[in-house]
Amino acid sequence: MKRNKFIVIGSGRLGSNIATQMSEAGEDVIIIDATDDSFRKLHESFSGFTVVGDATDLSVLENSFIKHAKTVVITTDSDNVNIYLSHICYYIYNVPHIFVRLADTDKGKLLEGTSIKAIYPFTLSLSEFLMLYEEGDEK
Amino acid sequence: MRIVITGGKHEADFIVSMLKEEHIHQLIVINQDRDFAEYISTKNDIPVFPGDPTKAYCLSDAEADHADVLLALSDSDTDNYITCITAKRLFHIKKTVAKVRNPKNVELFKKLGVDSVISSTYLMAQTILNESSIENIIKTLSIEDEKIVMLEMEVEDDFEVVNKRIMDVEFPQNINIGCIFRDPHVIIPKGNTVIKAHDKLIIISTPSEQDEIVEFIQKKR
Repeated sequence: MKRNKFIVIGSGRLGSNIATQMSEAGEDVIIIDATDDSFRKLHESFSGFTVVGDATDLSVLENSFIKHAKTVVITTDSDNVNIYLSHICYYIYNVPHIFVRLADTDKGKLLEGTSIKAIYPFTLSLSEFLMLYEEGDEK
Repeated sequence: MRIVITGGKHEADFIVSMLKEEHIHQLIVINQDRDFAEYISTKNDIPVFPGDPTKAYCLSDAEADHADVLLALSDSDTDNYITCITAKRLFHIKKTVAKVRNPKNVELFKKLGVDSVISSTYLMAQTILNESSIENIIKTLSIEDEKIVMLEMEVEDDFEVVNKRIMDVEFPQNINIGCIFRDPHVIIPKGNTVIKAHDKLIIISTPSEQDEIVEFIQKKR
């Protein structure tokens, strides 16, 4: 079985931009979202596939070639859904590379012992703020 | 036992009043609905925490760590999964039980580490399957995820097995008569026990053999 798909779940600002950039970089991208409207955020250079459906339903994931996924990026707006999906990708489908966006840093504890990588906008914003603040101080 | 009940409305209410009657359990209720939390707390003299049980600090406030059982009864399957996994991994709760709306999640949640998963649709389907294969004189109970079934059958006067010793009857494979109920006695049968008319046989078998066994016992003379 060849794992060559790049799957993005959740076509918000982050998800749709990751999907567009990866598609431009030549990846075989599939993006899943519960509503059709969300795909309007995809750039016209996006040449992958879009799937409308609830990703917590295994049949939606399987129709999106989850078994052939090399990378899954999960960016829905619910932390609980994101953790749940990352566990399904990791434990059930053994996807090698999983990235998940989490608003609540506490929830990251549920990823311990796995190779799932978390992205925390909170931590990123905080360090960005501290950096900008220090820059302002120097002037 | 220390039991944590999270989410759910009438389910939580019912379970709390049922478990309270046993007086041996220490109950903790966590519910996101403030009005409901208040209702449960005024009705019962037990600790109630209004809050989101998928958040670790909420389970921590409720002092849920090392509880024996946690029930997750909310209407969201995903939230129930997160509650159970948080309870299991971060609070070392021994046994977690999740209610699910989607029957397909029963097997999935178990694979992901939830100890027990309950779906009313799943149970209903199992009941219909059991009922349809057999007649109403028989009650069945499935245990160990449908791998074992327990049947209760009443022996009628004209059955072939009447007045025979168990050792003399050539039963099909994978059957065990675990118990005979002969009012008012309960007999644990041995090979030389004689089956009598109106005995109630408690039979343990596998689901695949169930129909064959029912047919065999009901064979008439």
